[in-house]
Amino acid sequence: MTIRRRSLLAVPAALPALLAIPLLRPGAAQATSMAVPAIAAPAPAFTGTNSNGAQVSLAQFAGKPVVLEWTNDGCPYVRKWYNSGAMQDLQRQAAAMGAVWLSIISSPPGEQGHVDGSGANALSQSRNAAPAHVLLDPEGRIGRIYGATVTPHMFIIDAKGTLVYAGGADSIPSTRQDDIARATPYVRDALTALAAGAPIANPVTRPYGCVVKYRNQV
Amino acid sequence: MTARLLLLLLLIGLAARDARALESAIVSSPRAQASLVTEADAFIPGQPLRVGLRLRMAPGWYTYWQNPGDAGAAPELDFSLPAGATAGPIAWPTPARHATGPVMSYGYDGEVLLPVTITTTRELADRLVVQVHASWLVCEKICVPEDGDFTLTLPAGTPTPYAEAKLFAAADAATPRPAPWPAAVSPEGVLSLRIPGLDAAQVREAWFAPLAWGQVVHSAPQVMDAAADGISLALQPGPEFRHAAGLAGVVIITDHAGQTSALSLTASPGPTITPAAILPLWQLIAFAVAAGLILNLMPCVFPVLAMKAMALAQLSGTARRTALGHAGAYAAGVVATFLALAGTLVALRAAGSVVGWGFQFQSPVFVAAMAWLLFAVGLNMSGLYGIRAGAVSGIGGNAAQRGGLSGSFLTGLLAVLVATPCTAPFMGAAIAGAMAAPLLVTLLGFLAMGIGFALPYVALATIPAFARLMPRPGAWMEVLRQVLAFPMYAAAVWMLWVVSLQSGPTGVLYTAGGMVLIGFALWALGVAQSGLAQTGTGRRLAVAASVAASAAAIALLSTLATTPPATAAAPGAAPATGDASQSFTPARLSELRAEGRPVFVNLTAAWCVTCIVNEQVVLAQPAVQQAFAARGVTYLKGDWTRRDPAITDYLRALGRDGVPLYVLYPPRGGTPVVLPQILTEQRVLDELTRAGL
Repeated sequence: MTIRRRSLLAVPAALPALLAIPLLRPGAAQATSMAVPAIAAPAPAFTGTNSNGAQVSLAQFAGKPVVLEWTNDGCPYVRKWYNSGAMQDLQRQAAAMGAVWLSIISSPPGEQGHVDGSGANALSQSRNAAPAHVLLDPEGRIGRIYGATVTPHMFIIDAKGTLVYAGGADSIPSTRQDDIARATPYVRDALTALAAGAPIANPVTRPYGCVVKYRNQV
Repeated sequence: MTARLLLLLLLIGLAARDARALESAIVSSPRAQASLVTEADAFIPGQPLRVGLRLRMAPGWYTYWQNPGDAGAAPELDFSLPAGATAGPIAWPTPARHATGPVMSYGYDGEVLLPVTITTTRELADRLVVQVHASWLVCEKICVPEDGDFTLTLPAGTPTPYAEAKLFAAADAATPRPAPWPAAVSPEGVLSLRIPGLDAAQVREAWFAPLAWGQVVHSAPQVMDAAADGISLALQPGPEFRHAAGLAGVVIITDHAGQTSALSLTASPGPTITPAAILPLWQLIAFAVAAGLILNLMPCVFPVLAMKAMALAQLSGTARRTALGHAGAYAAGVVATFLALAGTLVALRAAGSVVGWGFQFQSPVFVAAMAWLLFAVGLNMSGLYGIRAGAVSGIGGNAAQRGGLSGSFLTGLLAVLVATPCTAPFMGAAIAGAMAAPLLVTLLGFLAMGIGFALPYVALATIPAFARLMPRPGAWMEVLRQVLAFPMYAAAVWMLWVVSLQSGPTGVLYTAGGMVLIGFALWALGVAQSGLAQTGTGRRLAVAASVAASAAAIALLSTLATTPPATAAAPGAAPATGDASQSFTPARLSELRAEGRPVFVNLTAAWCVTCIVNEQVVLAQPAVQQAFAARGVTYLKGDWTRRDPAITDYLRALGRDGVPLYVLYPPRGGTPVVLPQILTEQRVLDELTRAGL
């Protein structure tokens, strides 16, 4: 009996070597890759819905600088920026130089940071925030176009529609409010340089914060 | 009772540790438990010692590597040490990749130790107080920053070994080793690592994680090319990539045995290299066709071989056009089933379900349905009823021709369904890789595999030279057909046995009861088909009885779906072979490993013929069992018949997608050895000897 079973095994025993040939070789477990827009190139166009239900497109702000801020009010990194008032200061600095500030929320329903239009307006009011518009992007469309990975992830587009800054709000990736004073204020510096017509010293920096809660798509 | 005893022992252990100040007080949240541990219970002034932040995360939560990837933050340790003591950097263990939608992170889940070496000088007094403020970020769907202050006091003296030292040993084992060979990076971002004498076929997967943010696009696919003298990875340069500055990071290589090695390297600027493409499609398809061809030789396919032999016999003497039609229908059945299975698997994976190849055999409903199908095919071969006039396909129409064609299609379907558990051991690695490939490539691969599987039959049916070898049709065909019914019955009994393991006696009752109903339904069908039912009314009555019995059987299936699983106390797939095995759990394995004992792990499933054959022919043999006993090897057997997540995780950790899996853990924490999926007594005994047993 044993002998017969062994002979039965003999055939497949010779085969693993053949089947060990990798059937398919590309690397495993990859995130679905996103386009990363290039600095000094035209900023990708987009249209979205704001918290009052109106359509807002990048094109309508031609001639003005535009700041994009990815946000999620539950994220401890975002809270650092709003609880300290530093993000609101940036928004007012931008408004003062004639720039349009767009806060973008890419959290889908059920995920941290998701709000509806009235929820978004209530947040702006309670935080004394001053964005020109809050865009609701629950499908993550705008987020994927810009390769926004974290909250807060910041982008600055100049008056000619060129992407001039992409990265973190400042240089110290922490959730401690005291670090804001110690960090290199990348966004503030970039806005100041833009207003003065000077080149931006650090156009690409490391964005830091919580993962943008994209709806998982295959 | 046992749990209480364990808790007591644990408390005693904790108290003892506190007394010796080897693990600090634990800072605890629902997400993570953090503590400071030391490698030894004392230090020698002037010599270095190691401490580490130990993080134990709740399931689903993870923390980050030194380069957290696209989001998150690395843990930070801020030491306050007395004069004469200096803390070095964290020796980061190899991270795992964590993809959240389009965002790639690097980090750790479960438990991780972040070791730091503290150097001391001789003037340091009789004790060392280590104080550290640690902050770490833990994320699941949301991220929560946590921090804590930890203090440990170590006396000067001769260190003695103790339990926490093994945490450091484990961290060392999980830390990348410096690559002993040179690496280079091209201006396009192609990273090449020379590995002299590399067997390219052994490399299953490799990926690179840069030490700093912005060097590469973390989420971009990394196409690997393995050659005889090394591997290359086509990376997508990130915004901070400077060719002249080189590239520092960690390469993680997984071989076909599922073993992973991590190498830290700094690649120097190298010449231009055209990024390697994915394996050329024609090669990929050639491999897949070859793999499909070989599947015809797998033992699980034997019951279906009976059907194929039958079909071949039927073809002998028929017109070439008919033969071609049958061959085409069979091939279509095979290919469609391969694609359907692959599609289902991809969809389940995308939905976040943890499933492996052969997953369908983990559902008792599917297994019962297979038992009935095999039984029904057997009854057909025994001549109880005929498959004609669309009786099976449910399509009306004229014709033996058409009924025969759908029969061929169904034969193909059945062959694949029954063959899948067998394909798992041989294809595990390839399929796991295929699943990670782009969807279209995956489906193309499975399509080619299906074509390969159907090829021999199609060749027999279509090439005249082969057809001439077939004997002329005659009465022998009827005898052959009836004889071949018995392998089908045997396969149905096997399925019934699998159900017994999955759903216990109740499951067997429903499945066997269903077989009676199916038998009745097909007998009634046979009556309707034959001359026994002479009137139209009689025929209609017979058909109605057949339909009613079939409906009752289907109702039974839904009952089976809600039947509770067989109690965990049942030893699962363990056939009554009298082997001295213990039940496998990852906890039991690490416990035995911690004791330094040798362990043989066997992961099996009742629906895996190869597993069972290996057990009967090799593992249950007295020579092997005696060798285990004599050499103090603990034999752990894990049953994957029902999808056990702990075993699925363990399989995945070893890069496997299915069973069988045999791993020998040598004593005293030696490197585990993965044994081949087809075992021989000699191989097992040799491996025991090689492990120093």
